[in-house]
Amino acid sequence: MGQRRKVAAGNNPSSQRNSGVSAEAARVHSRKHNICMVSDFFYPNMGGVESHIYQLSQCLIEKGHKVVIVTHAYGRRKGVRYLTNGLKVYYLPLQVMYNQSTATTCFHSLPLMRCVFVRERITVVHAHSSFSAMAHDALFHAKTMGLNTVFTDHSLFGFADLSSVLTNKLLTVSLCDTNHIVCVSYTSKENTVLRAALDPEIVSVIPNAVDPTDFTPDPSQRQDDRITIVVISRLVYRKGIDLLGGIIPELCLKHPYLHFLIGGEGPKRIVLEEVREKYQLHDRVRLLGALEHKDVRGVLVQGHIFLNTSLTEAFCMAIVEGASCGLQVVSTRVGGIPEVLPEDLITLCEPTVRSLCAGLEAVIALQRSGNVPSPASIHARVRNLYTWRNVAERTEKVYDRVVGEQVLPLDRRLRRLRAHCGPVAGSIFAFVAVLDFLFLLLLQWLVPDGVMDLAVNATGPQQQWRQEKSNKNDCFVEDASRSF
Amino acid sequence: MEDEAFTDISGKPISLDCQSHSSFCREFIISSPKVSMGKVMVYTCSVWLLAYAVFFFTQNTAVLSGAILVTLVGMMLHIHFVKVDHESLLVIGSLGIQVSSSYASGREITTFIEMSKIKDIVINEAIYMHQIIYYLCVLLKDPSEPDAVSSVVPLFQSSKPRLNCLVKVYKSCQEILSKCQ
Repeated sequence: MGQRRKVAAGNNPSSQRNSGVSAEAARVHSRKHNICMVSDFFYPNMGGVESHIYQLSQCLIEKGHKVVIVTHAYGRRKGVRYLTNGLKVYYLPLQVMYNQSTATTCFHSLPLMRCVFVRERITVVHAHSSFSAMAHDALFHAKTMGLNTVFTDHSLFGFADLSSVLTNKLLTVSLCDTNHIVCVSYTSKENTVLRAALDPEIVSVIPNAVDPTDFTPDPSQRQDDRITIVVISRLVYRKGIDLLGGIIPELCLKHPYLHFLIGGEGPKRIVLEEVREKYQLHDRVRLLGALEHKDVRGVLVQGHIFLNTSLTEAFCMAIVEGASCGLQVVSTRVGGIPEVLPEDLITLCEPTVRSLCAGLEAVIALQRSGNVPSPASIHARVRNLYTWRNVAERTEKVYDRVVGEQVLPLDRRLRRLRAHCGPVAGSIFAFVAVLDFLFLLLLQWLVPDGVMDLAVNATGPQQQWRQEKSNKNDCFVEDASRSF
Repeated sequence: MEDEAFTDISGKPISLDCQSHSSFCREFIISSPKVSMGKVMVYTCSVWLLAYAVFFFTQNTAVLSGAILVTLVGMMLHIHFVKVDHESLLVIGSLGIQVSSSYASGREITTFIEMSKIKDIVINEAIYMHQIIYYLCVLLKDPSEPDAVSSVVPLFQSSKPRLNCLVKVYKSCQEILSKCQ
């Protein structure tokens, strides 16, 4: 690290020229970090983790930190891209193995990751999602390189089946020397602490957020002669689509004015189509297929009730979005869902068809009698519950704490691995850690840190990014040259 | 005119020579170091030693003559197709850009891009092997749609200078380009 800083000073005459200014600014900027977000999941792939990373990065940039994102190449999208406000995204050409997750060999990603960490002068590596092999790789390499690490877990896991036993073991190895872990709900924290055998002290809870201005109620879009139940989720097993398939015929038989509006795509779509076919409900159950994020609100405001049938969920964004649009929310009582909304805004049921039907019927009765709070009042209450600025503030505190901590040197890291992860797995991964360290030394000998060009800061304290509407890329490069 | 110490992306020294022919015509020549004698020796020796080892076990003299042939042909191909001695970029305002690279054998490849096709010259970032590097490139446009970039021509592809060198070339090029637009 010290060596790298010397190089930075030597390479950048402007830093010396402005040393008077920067010394003064150092006090203000001392708590600004250079953050690298790593995950396999990022745009153009769509989902909760992706939008979480994007929104969090934007808010951190707004607070004056430098943020870069590292993900794997999506099709022809590889190389370096810039998003709004100079958010830099590295699409690294690593092989995708399964479900948009990269293959991991623990080593092959080190040269590129090291290059990114060095040239961007990263101080904190923040990895996302335990499904992402790239995130674990990045944590592993960052620790080898002596950088502080943070990990955000977005999902819940079981303990019983073989695949989760294996993932849990990997998670234990990956997290045992990570500086700090962030979970999205208390249930998720409990789950992660148990799975990875962690000290609860280093696990924080920072919930997800929604953009309340995107999800505003609009009662005029509702049709008053009927009650519409909206379901928006990926149509997969985890989201309880089989339960939904049981609920639809039962309720539709009882209530002739009931309509279903289902947005999303997935392998379980066939279940819903079968139900629709069997009970001749084509006019009452509409399957909208995959929805883009911008269209979600348009669907939500057409409904009266939002139904979520998830079987496992760390933190359910969908119900917050539903409530923000002023809908009555009915959900299963699983995972972190009970913590998400205040009790009077949500009806919780057991994840069974009977319990969900009972819950829905109670809400339908309330809705028919008109005995429900107005959409505007629900929106007003939800609006300030989860904002990205709040999330960014809390994440910033985690970073502040983490940079003060010491990264374990290799010998202590090996001892920690052996002590924490059992004699067999611990020894294997200690060996892998040593190999990784040797590989790093080899790379440092082949391409010394000093030979790598430091990247021009697009965001952060010395940012070069200007907001100009016309040809953004050119203007960035021009600015870059001016600073040297 | 002036020779600052520049290096390429793997740390080898290169030299940048800027010649100002007139106020709107400049030439930049980046020269790589010559083929080092040591490197040639190492490659030749390793091929010959390998051939001798094979000869020792098979007692077939064709292996030895084959090795001599391989080293000779290899060296010729290397200086003719791989080793670039220097690359030059000639910018003439209002006329265009001429890019040429001359190989160690004396072979020269020259291309000319006329000004009406040039949109801009920029520094960009790319992933190259196991590194992320900066490079200078010419953005081309189709005269029919002047706002879109139709293709990109990377400059100094074989010498791959580092950012400080690129910035210098970039600034001089922009001076000329801005004058004629």
